[in-house]
Amino acid sequence: MKNIFLLQWKRFRREPVLFFSIFGLTVLFVGLFGGFSQVDKVEVPTYFDPSVEGEKDVWLERLNEADTFEFIEKNQDSIIKDVALGYVNYGLEVSDDNYTLIVAAEHQELVLLDQFLKQMFTEEVRINTIASQIDNTEFRNDVLTALNEPPLTVEKTTMNNESRPSYDARLQALFGMTLFFAIYTVFYSLMNVAREKRTGTWNRIILSPVKKWQMYFGNMAYAFIIGFVQISLIFLLFKYMFNFPLGDSMIDILITVLCYCFAIVALGMLVLGLSKTVEHLSALVPIVAVSFAMLGGAFWPLEIVSNNILLMISKVIPVTYGMEALTNIALGGQNFIDVSSSLALLILLGVLFMGIGINLMERRA
Amino acid sequence: MLETTELKKTFKNKVAVDNVNLYLEKGESVGLLGPNGAGKSTTISMISSLIKPTSGEVLWHGKSVVKNPNIIRDVLGVVPQEIAIYEELTAYENLQFFGRIYGLKGKALEQKIDETLKIVGLEDRKKDLVKTFSGGMKRRINIAVALLHEPEFIIMDEPTVGIDPQSRNYILEMVRKLNEEKGMTVLYTSHYMEEVERLCDRIYIMDHGKIIATGTKEELTSILSSEEKIVIELDRPYPNFVEKLEQNEKILQVSVSEKGIDLIVPKNSQLLGEIFHIAEKLDVQIVHVNVQVPTLEDVFLHLTGRNLRD
Repeated sequence: MKNIFLLQWKRFRREPVLFFSIFGLTVLFVGLFGGFSQVDKVEVPTYFDPSVEGEKDVWLERLNEADTFEFIEKNQDSIIKDVALGYVNYGLEVSDDNYTLIVAAEHQELVLLDQFLKQMFTEEVRINTIASQIDNTEFRNDVLTALNEPPLTVEKTTMNNESRPSYDARLQALFGMTLFFAIYTVFYSLMNVAREKRTGTWNRIILSPVKKWQMYFGNMAYAFIIGFVQISLIFLLFKYMFNFPLGDSMIDILITVLCYCFAIVALGMLVLGLSKTVEHLSALVPIVAVSFAMLGGAFWPLEIVSNNILLMISKVIPVTYGMEALTNIALGGQNFIDVSSSLALLILLGVLFMGIGINLMERRA
Repeated sequence: MLETTELKKTFKNKVAVDNVNLYLEKGESVGLLGPNGAGKSTTISMISSLIKPTSGEVLWHGKSVVKNPNIIRDVLGVVPQEIAIYEELTAYENLQFFGRIYGLKGKALEQKIDETLKIVGLEDRKKDLVKTFSGGMKRRINIAVALLHEPEFIIMDEPTVGIDPQSRNYILEMVRKLNEEKGMTVLYTSHYMEEVERLCDRIYIMDHGKIIATGTKEELTSILSSEEKIVIELDRPYPNFVEKLEQNEKILQVSVSEKGIDLIVPKNSQLLGEIFHIAEKLDVQIVHVNVQVPTLEDVFLHLTGRNLRD
């Protein structure tokens, strides 16, 4: 097995272009979809009605307490013009007890913006109503003090810390693209088996004292390590160079990557078993990689998928569990024991795929 | 030493090898001659234990290879028809890998690589990538890999396909030396009659999965010992001339060649006069006439009705 394994690395050293191309593409796509730097706040051009003329700065300050949005004052005409021409997706008009969103087309951030504004205005209207009946300044100060030093604190926890972590677009891009491109790296590495069968070196090795299982494991170990190295390097690169919030425990992330790589190598063996020729395999690789990435939530979160059939299919796709475990570790602060059900399913799928794949290959031999 | 009995292989409903019986004695050089698709490669795949026969047996020193493939694998070297080496590696690296999987290491491996490279005449190119080699050189490295672990028995499946005459000559000479000087037992398959004639002590002729004739070269050509071959060269093709010759009952076989017509006729039949008479009648322009002793090619044609390279 050692000789077969080392041979693959020797061959890799001579022709590393494919690996570095896929590595480069992963970095590029993560950068394009997730952004290399911290996510900027979404700018919201805001116009203040003459009814709030005197309190403009106070309003702007309160609005800009939002984590996601940055409200920038502009005049009404330029907001309407920019929205009409499509330069901005929406604008905001603030009056003393209400707000208006100027929208040309529906946008995914609108829901969040509307929610934030609704909450803020409701609170503001409540305070104003009470304040108008008593001493305005004193009441506001009392509210602020109460907010800073609450008499009662309610802490919410769920069993086994299984609360769904919130969504992060940068991590979605990083995990999704990396797991997706790693499928190519692993599959193309395993393609060596198909090529060896075609050139006849496979048969030559069969006739040597090397056992069949050693031949398979030598090739699989190489594909596994190259996939693991690629994913790990990309995660480390984006964590330490571009400050992606991968969480505190890289060890848990890497354990997940190990399980994912095992499942993908096994899937590769299944694809190899299903292909009759190298050409057939070359055609099959992108089909499997893209469809599995789509169905497994690498391109978009599975939470937005409502079709039950697609959700059912996603249960037998390793990408699903890889994404799930990585997101829970990075955003939910979980460790590998917390995500052990996802990891166990990755290993289970791996064992299943590998069993079928090797069986198919041996039948064809 | 090696024997096959009633060896048969079917793929789905197609019979690729049909009840093949052959044997090889130690130190013998045996040829398996037949056109493409005759079943030669399938036969040697079964002998080398790469594929299991549908029925029949392969015996190595009386023991079943089908039941225990390792008994032949340890002493066998196979030169496949395809160039089964890693083209992105150097000649040395290829031999190093294949040597290691046969358990060679250290100085013994180094020494063996040098020796083998010398045999195939590539000691000067050992550090070059195989992909930079000519077709002939690749074929030689392909052979070197099979020789590395000093096999007792070597199977060569058309080792000279697609190479220049010089390289072919080098390989044939190398095979002859391995057999004569090192006492290696050789099973050589080819559809080049002249290679088999030159290298092999005995020949099996195979067609449509069956052994149709066997013996030494002399024994095989004696199949046509009571016949002779008349090679007629013409200035251009004459279909009506061929037709007339075919109608002649004294002519045993008429076949159209590249330059004219080949006839198999009974020895001393004195048909030349008759042939010239027909040619004159049909206004056929004969350029050259040659009367020959039949070759293996003619034997094959006689047995199968088709040429080796059909």
